[in-house]
Amino acid sequence: MTYFFQLVLSGIVVGSIYALSALGFVLIYKSSRVLNIAHGQLIATGAFITYALTVWVGIPIYISFFISLLITFILTMSVERIFLRRLIGEPIISVIMVTIGLMSILDGLIYLTPFGSENFSFPLFLPKEPISMAGLSMSWTQLVGVIITFALIGAFSWFFKKSTIGISMRAVSDDQLASMSIGISVPRVFGLAWATAGLSAAAAGGIIGNTTGLNFDTLHAFGITVFPVVILGGLDSILGAVVAGIIMGLIQQFAGGYLDGNWGLNGTGVVLPYIILLIILLFKPHGLFGIHEIERV
Amino acid sequence: MKKHKMLFFRILMSFVVVLSFATSIQAGEVYKLALSLAITGPTSDAGNPYAKGVEDYFRFVNDTKLLGNDTIECTIRDDQYNNDVTKRNFEDFLDQGIVLYLNYSTGSTMGLKRDFEEEKIPVIPASFHAGNLIDSNYIFLPIASYSEQIIGLAEYVAKNHKGGKAKIALFIHPSAFGRGPVEDLTKAVKAGLNIEIVEVVEHGQDLDNTAMLKRLKSKEVQYVLCQTVQSPVATMIKDANSLGYAAKSFGEAGKITFMGAHYTGGNDLIALSGAAAENFFWTTSYRLTSEKSAGADAQLALAKKYGRDDKAANSHNYTNGIMVAQVATEAIKRVKEKGEKVTRSSLYEELNQMNGAKAFQADTTVGPVTYSKTDHAGVDVLQLYRVDGGVFRSVGVPFSSEYIKKIK
Amino acid sequence: MSANRWLATGNYFATYKEEQRIFFTHTDRLIFSFFLVCVFVWPLVFETNNKYMLVVDNILIAMIAVLGLNMVTGFAGLISIGHAAFVGVGAYAVASVSRVMGNDYIFLTHAWPLMILLSGFIGAVFGAMVGLPAFRLKHLYLAIATLSFQMIFQWAINFMEFFNQGQTIYVGRAFWFTGEVGRNEHYIFWYYVILVILVLMGFMVRNILRTRFGRCLIAVRDNDRAADAMGMHPGLTKVYAFGLAGFFAGVAGALHAYLYRGVGVESFTLHHSITYLAMAIVGGLGTLNGSFWGPMAIKILELQVEKIAEHAGEIFPASTNLATALRPLSFGLVIVLFLMFEPRGIANWWRITRSYFKLWPFRY
Repeated sequence: MTYFFQLVLSGIVVGSIYALSALGFVLIYKSSRVLNIAHGQLIATGAFITYALTVWVGIPIYISFFISLLITFILTMSVERIFLRRLIGEPIISVIMVTIGLMSILDGLIYLTPFGSENFSFPLFLPKEPISMAGLSMSWTQLVGVIITFALIGAFSWFFKKSTIGISMRAVSDDQLASMSIGISVPRVFGLAWATAGLSAAAAGGIIGNTTGLNFDTLHAFGITVFPVVILGGLDSILGAVVAGIIMGLIQQFAGGYLDGNWGLNGTGVVLPYIILLIILLFKPHGLFGIHEIERV
Repeated sequence: MKKHKMLFFRILMSFVVVLSFATSIQAGEVYKLALSLAITGPTSDAGNPYAKGVEDYFRFVNDTKLLGNDTIECTIRDDQYNNDVTKRNFEDFLDQGIVLYLNYSTGSTMGLKRDFEEEKIPVIPASFHAGNLIDSNYIFLPIASYSEQIIGLAEYVAKNHKGGKAKIALFIHPSAFGRGPVEDLTKAVKAGLNIEIVEVVEHGQDLDNTAMLKRLKSKEVQYVLCQTVQSPVATMIKDANSLGYAAKSFGEAGKITFMGAHYTGGNDLIALSGAAAENFFWTTSYRLTSEKSAGADAQLALAKKYGRDDKAANSHNYTNGIMVAQVATEAIKRVKEKGEKVTRSSLYEELNQMNGAKAFQADTTVGPVTYSKTDHAGVDVLQLYRVDGGVFRSVGVPFSSEYIKKIK
Repeated sequence: MSANRWLATGNYFATYKEEQRIFFTHTDRLIFSFFLVCVFVWPLVFETNNKYMLVVDNILIAMIAVLGLNMVTGFAGLISIGHAAFVGVGAYAVASVSRVMGNDYIFLTHAWPLMILLSGFIGAVFGAMVGLPAFRLKHLYLAIATLSFQMIFQWAINFMEFFNQGQTIYVGRAFWFTGEVGRNEHYIFWYYVILVILVLMGFMVRNILRTRFGRCLIAVRDNDRAADAMGMHPGLTKVYAFGLAGFFAGVAGALHAYLYRGVGVESFTLHHSITYLAMAIVGGLGTLNGSFWGPMAIKILELQVEKIAEHAGEIFPASTNLATALRPLSFGLVIVLFLMFEPRGIANWWRITRSYFKLWPFRY
């Protein structure tokens, strides 16, 4: 039974990191209806900036983590300004393709740095011993990751629900024309959406980088890994991202824990989310919490 | 104005003269070799230093005139781990008239196997997959295959484990690259190797291995043999350390000892997992720069000569690249010494004769490079290394696997 | 209708039938025929080498695949991020036969045209299956459905012993009337095969667009509710479009298998899907000739960048990073710049050039 609860705990921990990674998609989609394929690269960038600041510049990791959030915030804002601003009103495929192009460009830029083909790891800054209770355990890194995740998600939910800018972002997502007519600057909202998404990506990068070590292949793959999470939660719901993240984390852990090694199956944790994804798309296309557009083809 | 023009003309002319001299000095023959590998894209962390190793060694050969007036021209091209590009590069290299080809990934080596056969061109890949040698005559593995490495590790466990049958789990890459050795190890166990394979775990992109480690622990697994790349291993041993499961010394009772084949280890693993890498056991046939040896010194000097940074200089993949280049150079040298023409077939014959008294003593590996008609794995001995104080230190003397011969 | 069927400076259509013609003027037809002859004859006139023939063959295969992708993404407006998986389905159809019957099985080596056709149909079945969610889904969600097919495809191939766990499954050499196609004529032989298939496929697309179904596609893309009101079935149309795209992809996959004489999963990854999309975009979405320009442009760019990278590597030997970073950087830049400055793709340049010559010597 302890094994079961350990799977649950690990599932929640992994799931909340997924949720944080998925948050970036949701933020962008919520306001500008764009799917950002380059998200994985942003995650990697965030992790690399944090590392560079911590180790090469020598800033304590707590501070460098926040500085890297800030840098990515500005970086993604300018990305939006340079590349995506022109494409407002273009068909959705163009915008998706731009993010694909962006992915390649970021790849290229990262290959210019040592991070492209070398491996690094963050210096230890948390106690090495895990937190153990009743036979269950989780590491300090994971605990801090979960705390940051929930703090950020809480902040974002508050931001969207209560703050003026947040409300204007929601207004834009609902109807661009109407929000323009009441004096909301739509381009500024888009910029802000990208910037906040960049911020959340950097946070996710910092946490994942601490867990897996800094390897470019591993880090940017997370952009794709969290797709099922985003869809399961519904593309435009923050709550959905959290719930779906945790569900996916649990599914993966249970698949790895109970299915793998039996009946000749292996590696089911990787593919199961996608199978679930297809089923969801067939039966509940807008995810668990997504807004139902009353529209059928 | 006219003066300037004349001056310009004169400078130009002098360049032309110098250039024509420069080309006429190199009267020796040029041997064309080629390498196609992933400098960017997946596995570039290994491919990048590998390419540097090959490049530097051939430059060294040309600069120090190891082959007299003759030079080696080795084209190195990035294929981004994309088999189609590898094939295109290979066709291009053939058109250029290469006499020996260096390849990289398991996938492309398997994919091009037929072409190697038809073209009768000797090939040295960076993949040590045992399957490369099936139905093929022209592929020469630089060192012992992954299967041999894993079985070697298992034999080491069987020999040094105290108290009964050792329980082993395998942690593998979800591909043929990872799965290949599993089959061979199972065969070895059937042939009498005294271990028990409790579980085979294929990893995905795991952020957390706690549950898996607890499961292995509850099944009393004491050794985890890894056949994958560094990153997943790093995540796992980090978790194992934070759980307090990782053994402090080989076979510590009640703990798990982690061991891995060639591509799981090296400085990259330490870079990825930091202190958690302590007591990780790793096997390869290469000498490391963390241990004093003539080969290591030569490697560092080479890296210094061509301005490589510390990271590349100390990478075992840099060593890997150098060694492959050394084998190629040695084969060419021997063919030349015989007074024969350096062609594909003469190189192939020469490589096949590289055994017994003619084995090639490379300074970068722990044993001699031996090839014969029936044995296309270069260095047959393996060295066990263990992370101690943040660097890999050798454990015991080089050994070779016994069961690999029994299961053939 | 202009009286002169050789020269037409504008549209003078009097009937719908005239508008539907494949070639508007005799000049068009003549130029096209001349071009076709050139394409067929040049390998006989010039000396070819294997590398460039392989590149050319590859471009032609990519053209077939992109024709399919353009069908579904360009004409029907459905984003597919899993096109390489459909190509893979075709290739693995060939590989399965090789796996079950042995790689020199007579059906595989002698009846390869049938095999290619069969692969196309298998691709179509898979395409239609993945397209099924189109009954309920639009836009992004559909894109994600194709993405998940891509991931499931990769996992299944990598996992299953039957598919050799993604390692190469060999396919024997094909036979022609003159006997086995040897190594030296391999690329030339397949050049002609692929070319013939490509031309047929091109005409097929052109003709599909002239049919009721083709018009349905465009109507559904532009406004599916209006299309519905006019008595078309948007859901079915989309599924057909996916099936058709699957057919093209399947044929391309089978050709790929024969050309490379083996099938490995690494040729059909997400990265390739993205490349196909890039080709379609750069060529020009929703145009027929764009499907030809795109693959050509992207592949040639790739080759050129490779050359530049090599030179850069010679000039700054110690910084290979710069040279290797060039490729993703240029690939990304090309996509982004095209979308920003020429969203209609190279096909638009082609259109402009053509109208220039049509109107010459006048400006308009």
